[in-house]
Amino acid sequence: MVLLVGAVALWLGLSQAALAYVRPGLRPLLAASGLVLLLLGLVAVLWRPAGATHGHAHGEQGFRSAWLLMLPVLVLLLVTPPALGSYAASRQPPGTNNGSTGEFPPLPEPVDGAVPLLVSEFVARAQEDQKRSLAGQRVRLVGFVIPAQGGGRDYQLARFVLACCAADAEAYTVQIRGDATPRQADQWLLVEGRWLPQPVPKQPGSFTKPPVLLTDAVTTISPPANRYENTVFPY
Amino acid sequence: MLVVVVGLGGRGMVAEFFDGSAVQFWSTVLVSIVIQALPFLVLGVLISGAIAALVPPGWLARALPRQDALAVPAAGLAGAALPGCECASVPIAARLRANGVSPAAAFAFMLAAPAINPVVLVSTAVAFPGRPEMVLARFLASLLTSITVGLIWSRVGREAWMTRARSRVVEGDSRWAAFTETARQDFLQAGGWLVVGAMAAATLQVAVPRSVVQQLAGHQLLSALCLGLLAVVLAICSEADAFVAASLRQFSLSARLVFLVVGPAVDIKLVAMQTGVFGRRFAARFAPLTFAVAVICALLVGRWLL
Repeated sequence: MVLLVGAVALWLGLSQAALAYVRPGLRPLLAASGLVLLLLGLVAVLWRPAGATHGHAHGEQGFRSAWLLMLPVLVLLLVTPPALGSYAASRQPPGTNNGSTGEFPPLPEPVDGAVPLLVSEFVARAQEDQKRSLAGQRVRLVGFVIPAQGGGRDYQLARFVLACCAADAEAYTVQIRGDATPRQADQWLLVEGRWLPQPVPKQPGSFTKPPVLLTDAVTTISPPANRYENTVFPY
Repeated sequence: MLVVVVGLGGRGMVAEFFDGSAVQFWSTVLVSIVIQALPFLVLGVLISGAIAALVPPGWLARALPRQDALAVPAAGLAGAALPGCECASVPIAARLRANGVSPAAAFAFMLAAPAINPVVLVSTAVAFPGRPEMVLARFLASLLTSITVGLIWSRVGREAWMTRARSRVVEGDSRWAAFTETARQDFLQAGGWLVVGAMAAATLQVAVPRSVVQQLAGHQLLSALCLGLLAVVLAICSEADAFVAASLRQFSLSARLVFLVVGPAVDIKLVAMQTGVFGRRFAARFAPLTFAVAVICALLVGRWLL
């Protein structure tokens, strides 16, 4: 059991697969803990004196529950649950700017006619930037589609921001207008366009609707390796 | 091995069952919580193993002050030295108990360590830029919670409630054997219960959409209780919960402090691990006590500082 969990942890730490569940910075720690578990398991297998019973000092209870560790391993290997998508995003209130002070650095330079921005950064600037740095700028966003509830043509473009693991992920959404093509849920898109300015309210975090982007160019893309945007983490 | 082979054969069937969006969401959250907790759990069992192998029984109890009134605050402050999150501290607290440390002091350490260590305080500072008082308030309220719970426990706590904690002595012929065997067994025990907790947290995340919580933002006391319950339900790692708290902007800073103080002390995954490591009767008493004390401490400190 320890060997199995260790092997899976080591594999997750070394592959891209872990990115669907945790922040990238956790991968080296995962690999290290996988190695430790493999060592512990090997020591137990190789050095256990013959005839010694498993955990006699420990009571049966501890070991019965240990079989539960098979559950996440099996789910991971058999089902490989995908990164969070439109279902999870539609169950959350629209993400609001994460603890900003209302001050933003100048926008980066445009690349090929549009400023590349994270969805979360676009939402933050749209909602709270007193200097309105987005006004008139052509921007480029990458995210997945949440279809309109009523079945209309307009949809939302969303991206999850992850602090540590998918349990704490928060969806940031942008309302897209001007795309004539119907889009499927969870389709990844590269969307270019301009922000539809809206007033900045005095009360921070009092938004109930996502900001609007009037688009003039939409490209379907394959999902990025890391489907999440990540908060700045101290290590 | 056989299970894996058979399972791979039935992969198509299983994947079909898991195709529903809610089930997929559930399994993503379950796997994420377990993966995220794994490195910290391993750190915890390694420290536990090292204590079992290197520290003579009773030595830690003698190193701490004899009276709980002094030992509990000392143990709580010592928690600042463990750079992990809450999954690491449960096996360590059980090992401290087995080494002879008084339960009150061991629990004060268990509650304080995941909340006041430097890594958690730095993430709190990053999540709340320009608000150093939030970091201070979190430190004070969590330390106060751990000390209060420890002192209450030293008055009313009963050894008999901890049905599982007494059988935790691992014999080994050498230090190395004691170290590896303790770490391995602690991992199996706490790990299984971590999965139970992760399952519960994933189920609650599916059952209770986060948007429900936002409706209660207006009311001062109700919103604090509500965020306390949210912290229990979400079972977020203490190193990441500040980022979630920062985004709950409809809530007052005091209510968000409650979220930050309750989360590392008592959440659904921790209750499961404590049930597995200490016993059901223990967890049934310890969790409500901790929740109440954490909410009150956070509100008091919040009123004073925020």
